Amino acid sequence: MLLKGKNAIVTGCARGIGKCIVEVFAKNGANIWACCRKQTDDLEKYLDELAKESNVSITPVYFDLADNEQIKAGIKTIMASKQQVDILVNNAGVTYNALFQMTSMSKMREIFEVNFFAQMLLTQYVIKLMIKSKGGSIVNISSTAALDGNSGRSLYGASKAALICTTKALAEELAEYNIRANAIAPGITQTDMVASSMTDAVIEDTIRQSNMKRMGQPIEIANVAMFLASDMSSYITGQVIRVDGGL
Amino acid sequence: MDGSDGNMLLNGKNAIVTGCLRGIGRATMELFARNGANIWACCQNQDEEFERDIRELSKEIGVAIVPVYFDLADNEQLKAGLRTIAASKQKIDVLVNVAGMTHNALFHMTSMEKMKYVFEIDFFSQIQVTQYITKIMAKQKSGNVINISSIAGMDGNPGQIAYSSCKAALIGATKTLAAELAPYNIRVNAIAPGVIETNMTSDLPQEAFSRLMSKSCIKRKGVTDEVANVLLFLASDLSSYVTGQVIRVDGGIG
Repeated sequence: MLLKGKNAIVTGCARGIGKCIVEVFAKNGANIWACCRKQTDDLEKYLDELAKESNVSITPVYFDLADNEQIKAGIKTIMASKQQVDILVNNAGVTYNALFQMTSMSKMREIFEVNFFAQMLLTQYVIKLMIKSKGGSIVNISSTAALDGNSGRSLYGASKAALICTTKALAEELAEYNIRANAIAPGITQTDMVASSMTDAVIEDTIRQSNMKRMGQPIEIANVAMFLASDMSSYITGQVIRVDGGL
Repeated sequence: MDGSDGNMLLNGKNAIVTGCLRGIGRATMELFARNGANIWACCQNQDEEFERDIRELSKEIGVAIVPVYFDLADNEQLKAGLRTIAASKQKIDVLVNVAGMTHNALFHMTSMEKMKYVFEIDFFSQIQVTQYITKIMAKQKSGNVINISSIAGMDGNPGQIAYSSCKAALIGATKTLAAELAPYNIRVNAIAPGVIETNMTSDLPQEAFSRLMSKSCIKRKGVTDEVANVLLFLASDLSSYVTGQVIRVDGGIG
């Protein structure tokens, strides 16, 4: 029970890595605000069952990262609970694949809005709460695309690289308040996002380049997020951990 | 396995930890044992107090902790120690290469003899242990190796030419081995501790300490448990998709 009694905000919880993070965090004793874009009965039922089974509280919060007003409203409901926030996992985001010369400026702004500015807005609000309670751990989900640069992923990679830079700066700015900030750079992970955005040939090629010769599972990313969120990593801040099977 | 079963992250695994007498090795041995691992606790010299401590620890927790003695400077001793481990015919799940030495001297004040000696202890002996043990792991088709590098091996550190070069060499070995040994289901990672509260860092010149602290986000030394926890993470299946990585445990120096 590595997160017993801690309160965590996790974004992008409807599926993939985010859904898995909620599961691992709940099973390890964390109470969770599970942020998703859209309300669905299936999701609410799932979160409800998970909460009961794990004996924690899981509160769904709905907002669209493309809509600042919705983000603000969502965070207000979290603030209204007057609970301490110990952990923020910025997981939500979108992928985008196109060659640089085929990427319009409007698309650039749209992707940065969702993958970067929205995370910044949310982080700014949450940090205020963490500073008041003099402690916290922020985990940003970046990507190996941010570190390596991949053909066709200039925009996605740049938005994730911006997140890394912010992670490092926040680690410095917030250490005096006992807030740690780290990032994870997943490689190719078995999620809908990867399946829907990458061709089989690209997926196979990436797997071939990796040491482990397989895709990662969402649980393998979620376990690293738990490590960074927990006190196991109390002397780690400003770092980016590649979870990529050795790319 | 996700840590929800009472934090026993290494339940039933068998681990070799070198440098167990004190500091990071000692903390790692204790934390691994408390997480359910059986341990070959390697130290340089036999020590009665140490043997009594591990007997008590092993009784309290219900795991096996077997002391193994060898001096990293002595190849024959090292091989003999490894042979006793191999002779047990037990599965070896984890190898943590903690043992090593530090050496503080400016480049022009470091004799080639000293340079070679530091490499013998901090690099070749680790490689020799790893070669021997990963042969066994390859046969098992599973394993996990963790090397202790240093931020000095990544950033350089004035006054630590021999030590920092060894630690950089270990990083190169870690990344190469991660690629070579992945087909055998062996993961290889390293950690790079910053300034940790141990005997080894107690002789760090005040000026060097102040310089490092001024760069650090957290502005304090780390404690050995904080390093041991990262080793536990890497040794456990929590990090099953992490290989060939170097994790800085430095309070945010770099």
